[in-house]
Amino acid sequence: MSATGTAVCAGTVLRARRQRISPLGYTGIGLAVLAAVSAVRVATGASDLTSSGTVGAALAAAVPIALAGLGGLWSERAGVVNIGLEGQMVLGTLGAGWAGYQYGPWAGVLMGLLLGALGGLVHAVATVTFGVDHIISGVAVNLVAPGLGLFLAKLVFRNAPGGGQKQSPPVRDVRHLTAPYLTSWLGSLERRQWFLVSDLAAVLRGLTFQISTLTIVAVLLLVATFVVLWWTPFGLRLRSCGEAPYAAESLGVNVRRYKYAAVIVSGAMAGLGGAFLAVSSGQFRDGQTGGRGFIGLASMIFGNWRPGGLAMGAGLFGYTDAMQLRGSDAVHALLLLLGIALLVLTVIQARAGRVVLAAVAGVLGAAFVLWFAATDEVPPELVGATPYVVTLLVLALASQRLRMPKADGQIYRKGDGG
Amino acid sequence: MRRPPEQADIAIALHGITKRFPGVVANSDVDLTIRRGTVHAIVGENGAGKSTLMKILYGMLKPDEGTITVDGRTATFGSPAAAIAAGIGMVHQHFMLADNLSVLENVVLGGEPRQRGGLDFRAARARIEQISATYGLQVEPDRLVEELGVGERQRVEICKVLYRGARILILDEPTAVLVPQEVDELFGNLRDLKAEGLTILFISHKLDEVLAVADEITVIRRGSTVASVTPHEVTAPQLAELMVGSALPVPELRESTVTDRPVLEVSDLAVTDPDGRHVLSAISFTIHAGEVLGIAGVEGNGQAELVDALMGVRPISSGTVALSGHDITRSSTRSRREAGMAYIPEDRHRQGLLLEASIWENRVLGHQTVAPSARGLLLNRRAARADTQRIVREYDVRTPGIDVVASALSGGNQQKLIVGREMTGRSVALIAAHPTRGVDVGAQAAIWEHMRAARRAGLAVLLVSADLEELIGMSDSLAVILRGRLVARFDPKTVKPEQLGSAMTGAGASAGAGGAV
Ligand SMILES: Nc1ncnc2c1ncn2[C@@H]1O[C@H](COP(=O)(O)OP(=O)(O)O)[C@@H](O)[C@H]1O
Ligand SMILES: [Mg+2]
Repeated sequence: MSATGTAVCAGTVLRARRQRISPLGYTGIGLAVLAAVSAVRVATGASDLTSSGTVGAALAAAVPIALAGLGGLWSERAGVVNIGLEGQMVLGTLGAGWAGYQYGPWAGVLMGLLLGALGGLVHAVATVTFGVDHIISGVAVNLVAPGLGLFLAKLVFRNAPGGGQKQSPPVRDVRHLTAPYLTSWLGSLERRQWFLVSDLAAVLRGLTFQISTLTIVAVLLLVATFVVLWWTPFGLRLRSCGEAPYAAESLGVNVRRYKYAAVIVSGAMAGLGGAFLAVSSGQFRDGQTGGRGFIGLASMIFGNWRPGGLAMGAGLFGYTDAMQLRGSDAVHALLLLLGIALLVLTVIQARAGRVVLAAVAGVLGAAFVLWFAATDEVPPELVGATPYVVTLLVLALASQRLRMPKADGQIYRKGDGG
Repeated sequence: MRRPPEQADIAIALHGITKRFPGVVANSDVDLTIRRGTVHAIVGENGAGKSTLMKILYGMLKPDEGTITVDGRTATFGSPAAAIAAGIGMVHQHFMLADNLSVLENVVLGGEPRQRGGLDFRAARARIEQISATYGLQVEPDRLVEELGVGERQRVEICKVLYRGARILILDEPTAVLVPQEVDELFGNLRDLKAEGLTILFISHKLDEVLAVADEITVIRRGSTVASVTPHEVTAPQLAELMVGSALPVPELRESTVTDRPVLEVSDLAVTDPDGRHVLSAISFTIHAGEVLGIAGVEGNGQAELVDALMGVRPISSGTVALSGHDITRSSTRSRREAGMAYIPEDRHRQGLLLEASIWENRVLGHQTVAPSARGLLLNRRAARADTQRIVREYDVRTPGIDVVASALSGGNQQKLIVGREMTGRSVALIAAHPTRGVDVGAQAAIWEHMRAARRAGLAVLLVSADLEELIGMSDSLAVILRGRLVARFDPKTVKPEQLGSAMTGAGASAGAGGAV
């Protein structure tokens, strides 16, 4: 009650307007980053750092993370923390495997989405209707979903042709599309190995060659999410439930209904991410999600609860994940890249006056550069962990002022406000 | 006497409204008639039932008995949406705004203009600018609410209500958070609204404001209407008498007890928030034994951070704090309390009490390491309970017993319990943040008396308050805090509320009588 009173007035002291970066500025930053990577490529000879194959793989690896992140975005913008994303993703892989091997990949995608939405619904019932703590309910979803997946897999896949106790029969992939003409021209540019130019060509080629239709769907969903949440009355109401539910209630907004909608969509997005994993890898497998729901959630948080930010986080993970699959040379070069990135962050954070962050980034950055210089390869045991480590380190140390929805994670009870 | 209003003149009539909460009758058999195109004030002390009555009228609460008539038709509002549809709008005592949304988004929420499925930002902006111009509200649609000051937020709230086409406006204690100049501006807005034919219900317990702005006044006491008068018929003391059955307590200090022994010395204190921004800088002051230093300021200018820093809840980035000559800059909250810092927190529900714990357990809170609450490492239940009995007796905490939970007490009694808990024999300094906020006049008078006693006993008192009358009356000296700095000092014996108001908002800053610190 008086808590709102204090919060209400806090604005007077802190009138700092956030500065926005223009599209041109983003292009500039993007080119600068590419130039740095290109320089590292030239220096280390690890041509995989920017090959179109890497970029294509990175994109494919980023999609499930981005979809999970979108799921988190929908839910948290409406004020419900959904750490059940991982479990909803598992349901998505299961649904895609089950419907996919029988009725084709798109049926699988649809089923994955529906099962994910069902997982979202469970979380919504628990948190919105019964006022269960969001974390507890999310953990419950995460614990139950894989168990349920395994149980159902045994039931329906074991006797199916090509299926097993822990995996579904093969599922066909959806169609992949390639931009005509463009890719072969970009390919010839890429082979020249020119500084920056070839790298740019490789990136563009990676983004236009053999792209899964599901990836295109995911990109469209990202854009659609932005439009719906920020440009429509529906989105405004949904976000108001995450910022000030009692204010929304006092203006006649049916807060529960919007929270339900948001959490169900959230589960559906995560389910779609799971379906992508199953369909693109050709079958449902137990443990296929590998923590991607959590990484999606993290990239959404470090992306400051915004679609663009979460896309960047997902991209970073996808990139390092792709590198990891490309072999030990690439991962070794990644050490240098990470070191440089952290040192750049050191400068940025130091100039912003964030001494502690700058110091942590500086020490880690120097350590990675030294590690790179002192060794010839990364121990294979650590290679699998690189995407997770790199993503979390960079995101955590790069994030500026994070601003989560004000009523995020709080239990809403109708009529408690004012 | 007034002539009885014509039927067509009446905007709202409430008959026999009764509302019970578990253990309290918040409204009992209230009758209220509001004429169209007037400013109608409802006065009553804290807890009299004003907000409850307004929430009933706005559809947020259902009355147990009674009828509501709007424009001659009987109405039952199941929700605020129904009240809005009937042309009633309410600005709540605590603002209902989303900080991270723009003014435009806050205003249109729930009634958005649409265009091809999307939100029609252009139409919304035009509409808001038109309302703003018509009623002189000066709201800027594209600012983030977070960036706005209190007065601006209030105008956004009013704009919100007008945007929905309200013809009847309820303002619940709108002046509680404003400085005198902002109050004048608000009253200007209200007169404009009235001139446009709107009806305004104005809730307050500040009597001179009510007399300045209202056309008619209804007095509520303990949930019932006790009188309906016009400002010409009554004086402020008479109104007070109607409101509480006696004269209002006056905050004042009698003889000076200020000594020359410094107790709380703060020099060059600075605090930064996690983002590295300065929320307090260059704060220096000394409070002597037997002295009360009052801190005036618009809320959110660093008062809460100052109190937190003094209590050791928030890390100090530079500067020193000394208590009785010992440096406590780096001391933990517990050692500060053990060294004699007493603390009345700003929000008794969040910081002062465990609402679901018993009164005697709340007595132990914050004193869990010292006698009589503790003996060695263990709690001394018997002594703690006995001491709680003493507090209940000496500080007049009205409670059925010391085993009831703290949430069962009224705000005033909770606050008296906190005061009693903090006034131990060991205390040498008292940090009091809004000690009488939201308590009834009886408790208010009692708390002021306890603060006077503390001052007599030689405590150094830091008083933070939003109530200028309390500050001026209860302080030996006054400092104004603005954007995290102490910007002016005043002598409470000579200062006028308007001067304080100017310094608090930074208008004509150091040109005032105070002079910069
Ligand atoms: N939701 C509630 N539950 C229980 N008691 C309440 C509730 N709201 C108000 N009260 C009680 O009703 C009485 C009147 O409160 P209120 O209408 O807020 O007074 P005012 O606005 O005049 O200060 C107080 O004793 C208060 O404690
Ligand atoms: Mg009230």
